[in-house]
Amino acid sequence: MTVNELLNHGFNAVSLPEPEREITGVYIGDLLSWVMGRAKASDAWITIMSNENILAVAALADTACIITAEHVEISDSVKNTAELKGINILSFDGSAYDAAVKLHGLI
Amino acid sequence: MKEISLNILDIAENSVKAGASLTEITVTENDERLALTVRDNGCGMTEETLKSVTNPFYTTRTTRKVGMGLPLLKMEAEQTGGSLEITSVPQSEDSVKHGTCVTAVFNKKHIDYTPLGDVVSSIVTLIQGHPDTDFLFTHINGNRTVALDTRELRTVLEDVPLNSYEVLDWIKNYLRKEENK
Repeated sequence: MTVNELLNHGFNAVSLPEPEREITGVYIGDLLSWVMGRAKASDAWITIMSNENILAVAALADTACIITAEHVEISDSVKNTAELKGINILSFDGSAYDAAVKLHGLI
Repeated sequence: MKEISLNILDIAENSVKAGASLTEITVTENDERLALTVRDNGCGMTEETLKSVTNPFYTTRTTRKVGMGLPLLKMEAEQTGGSLEITSVPQSEDSVKHGTCVTAVFNKKHIDYTPLGDVVSSIVTLIQGHPDTDFLFTHINGNRTVALDTRELRTVLEDVPLNSYEVLDWIKNYLRKEENK
């Protein structure tokens, strides 16, 4: 399934420069140095972190999108950089677990 | 990172890459606070470069577009209510006193503080990877001080390379013993 298809399932667009990216897996983690080496290309990465560093981690791991769980706020500056660097960000109101369960049924 | 000692590796590698002949790694801690300082005599940075080094999309690497060493260290320090400070004098400005100094301060009582971890392994790894540059490691914990100066080792060892197995093993055991005193 593609990132923009998630918009019909309770995920909200924060930054969507590459809406057609295919999602093939899911990774959950908040310790960025850990995620950097473990998230796989085309994963949907669920986190509660929201600073600019998440964009670099997503770029390095080449994830399909970042999903910020628990209604975490993303600043405008992070949003703008994400658009600029081609990083998709979606937000989700529930927990990381809820988001993963939802994704499990979809991909 | 899961341990501050892993950050030490990352930051000190920058120093070596900047052509430092001496990199001083100092950890000063008490019950409340831990300060990590990495000071080198490498080529330094211009003010403009200095402004961008905590931007995760800035890197001196050519193999990838992202440099995470300093951005992560800054984030981890700030998450504990601490701070990161970087000062630098570029070689072009001062041909004698050039170099970079990175200081990260952590509040150890904060729930998001990650422990120092295996600092001995980090120091041994650095010496192993860069036997021809010098490192001065100092760990001050309350009233205890652990120190290792590869310049001193060099004068004793003469022609024996610092990355020979026996030397590295001695360094590891010496530091472990001192750290656990």
